[in-house]
Amino acid sequence: MYQIKQNPLIKKIGFNRIVLCLVLLIMYGFFALFAKNFVSYNRLLSAMNYAYFLGFLALGVTFVIATGGIDFSIGPVMFCAAIMSGYLLTHYKWPLWVCLITSIVIGMLYGTLNGYLVAYKDVPSFITSMAIMQMSKGIASVFTKAQSVSWPQLAQENGWYRNLIKIKVGNTYLPIGLFILLGVAIICSIVLNKTKIGRYFLCLGSNKEAVRLSGVDVKKWQMLAYIICGTMAGIAAIFFVAAYTTVQPGYGDQYNNEAIAGCVMGGTSMAGGLASISGTFIGVMIISILQEGILAIGLNKNYQLVITGLIVIVAVYLDVMSRRRKN
Amino acid sequence: MGDLILTMKGIDKTFPGVHALDNVDFELYRGEVHALMGENGAGKSTLMKVLTGIYKKDSGTITYDGNVVEFTSPREAQQAGIVIVHQELNFLGHLTVAQNIFIGREYMKGKKIDDARMIEEAAKLFQRMHVNIDPTEKMSNLTVGKQQMCEIAKAISHDAKIIVFDEPTAALTETEVEELFDIIRDLKKKDIGIIYITHRMDEVKVITDRVSVMRDGAYVGTLISKDSTKNDIINLMVGRVIYEDPKTKSMVPEGAPVVLKVENLNAGRFVQNVSFELRKGEILGFAGLMGSGRTETARAIFGADPKDSGDIYINGNKVDIKSPKDAVNNGIGYLSEDRKRYGIVVQRDVAENSTMACLDNFINGIFIDKKKEDSETAKYVESLAIKTPSVDQLVVDLSGGNQQKVVLTKWLVRNCDILIFDEPTRGIDVGAKSDIYKLMNELVKEGKSIIMISSELPEVLRMSDRIVVMCEGRKSGELSIEEATQEKIMHLATMGN
Repeated sequence: MYQIKQNPLIKKIGFNRIVLCLVLLIMYGFFALFAKNFVSYNRLLSAMNYAYFLGFLALGVTFVIATGGIDFSIGPVMFCAAIMSGYLLTHYKWPLWVCLITSIVIGMLYGTLNGYLVAYKDVPSFITSMAIMQMSKGIASVFTKAQSVSWPQLAQENGWYRNLIKIKVGNTYLPIGLFILLGVAIICSIVLNKTKIGRYFLCLGSNKEAVRLSGVDVKKWQMLAYIICGTMAGIAAIFFVAAYTTVQPGYGDQYNNEAIAGCVMGGTSMAGGLASISGTFIGVMIISILQEGILAIGLNKNYQLVITGLIVIVAVYLDVMSRRRKN
Repeated sequence: MGDLILTMKGIDKTFPGVHALDNVDFELYRGEVHALMGENGAGKSTLMKVLTGIYKKDSGTITYDGNVVEFTSPREAQQAGIVIVHQELNFLGHLTVAQNIFIGREYMKGKKIDDARMIEEAAKLFQRMHVNIDPTEKMSNLTVGKQQMCEIAKAISHDAKIIVFDEPTAALTETEVEELFDIIRDLKKKDIGIIYITHRMDEVKVITDRVSVMRDGAYVGTLISKDSTKNDIINLMVGRVIYEDPKTKSMVPEGAPVVLKVENLNAGRFVQNVSFELRKGEILGFAGLMGSGRTETARAIFGADPKDSGDIYINGNKVDIKSPKDAVNNGIGYLSEDRKRYGIVVQRDVAENSTMACLDNFINGIFIDKKKEDSETAKYVESLAIKTPSVDQLVVDLSGGNQQKVVLTKWLVRNCDILIFDEPTRGIDVGAKSDIYKLMNELVKEGKSIIMISSELPEVLRMSDRIVVMCEGRKSGELSIEEATQEKIMHLATMGN
């Protein structure tokens, strides 16, 4: 009956993501102009160190936000997983591969607890994830008696896990982490857009009651989103230590906000029902380049907090406005 | 009738993908009640939103009170004297009537709000309207009818010259409707122009002077209310012949088996000892007043709410339904009375909504078979005449009647044998209504069985093979279609009183 006039190519890629890519390029250009020695392969590798763990966090939380929930625990959960498995590795001398799996399992357990409370006990995700954030910080501290944990360096025994982010080939490094992150992002995108899991996530994010009354076991699916999110935080832990090796208990909140900022920027709606994995991916890249650029330009990390906060406000504002226009 | 107070000429408005208003003309005299009719999605509300500055028109002129105007906000329109009384009332329930009427323009005494003066002024307004409402009462304690009176009082207090009523009687009882009409007649005498949006044919003759009809965003024509028949109006509205097939006797074949048997169902205070049988190929009407427990019964059978006790048999086998999932697995589908809350997923598209109840049938390996999903959905879009540009259209962009058809599609795709339709035609236009009646008749012919909950007695009498009447959570009686009349149903529905 009616025809929507829009360039099919733009529609396919999504206007929002084209704008995001432009933002990314402009930002890179800005830092290239104003920061010393910004345009170099090593700088990019360093920025990517930040993008890997943040990317896994953001991909995970995209699923939760798609269902209309939120998870404020992912940063501290990631730290808790990194600290506990690292302590098992360095203090109790567990084999490395067991510790890596333990890290993922710890994240998954937190996600399961979170999801169970939200889906089956009807506690708002805002509250449960806040509580789990505090708990995970406390558990990590208790476990290591408030000591920070240093994972081994590449040259040391059990150091090979650091190859997960970059591997030396001749005189240069191959960014393995980027390939892994891209691979996982593609899988996430397929899960979200092409499978039953993603379909139910998005639908129940838009109207949970209508989905339940269609005969769908919404509690199961809702819980699954949190399990995926927690598991991704466990994976993020591995990439965090592979990049920075040392983890201190009691921190990690900042990364929640940056991961959520990445999602929201990428077009995932805080109201649920709309999500974009590619958007999240680009959003994470923007935040990573931003943090590298801010350091390179000689400002301290606090500026990054201010800018990320502003980005979240603008992104959420745009989301709200586009909804209002539709109604 | 006085002179023209409002002339809208050549109004055009396009939204992305939709030509919502196509060169629409509309005029209103002082002291005239002018009905605006059309199917859902015909553009009535859009036209009113353009008038009151909620939307900006693309082209055309609005002449109001002799001047060409262009309002940029509802507030501006209000100050100029054009007020809408919305279908869904906007008020703050915890504030008093007087506080609501003067909200945003409170009388002040120095820096303090002068409550005493507001109460006094509100009382004067109600006196002028000849209604009895206590201005100090909390808004949420009033009936819907009284709340609406307050909205009207608010409109009058703005010195309105034009009042737009958007389906004002949708939620009113008969006495309240009478009261409303008295007020409207009174407003007429004061030379206020009234635009009256409604779906109810009967009201047009009773209260309006002229009726303008819109269809698909275009102005179709204007009739003098007292000189035109219901059919004249309907023909203008739909541009096609309406399906009419009143029922005089049960269409259920002799000896048709019982497909659903409910025994002594109890669920909270609204469902007490309800028992009934549904036969194959039958439309079982559920009549009763609002709050008589019909919806609650349906939800308990469907597993949407927990039940306290009672047995349910499907095709003679006892089933244990604990959740909607169990119900759907047993071949029951439930079309809710509140489609926005319980029926559709507005932010997702038509195809996604259509396959929601049986997504497993559209899974190929681990992936959703989008092609199969789209083609299956397209079949129903075609056969139910759902007005949508494509199956990828977000449901939020469809009109009410078409959204309802999408929910129907969901259960048809699932191929349920037992369908519970809760107010299937509420808030949708005659065209879509007739489509749905036709569909229900086709479904029972195919051997499906339908429970139809409806508050419209003509609808119950027209569609049902048998009628269960409920009153205060209990089944107060059962009538065959041959013996049923409106009076008998009402008698059973009000037995407790």
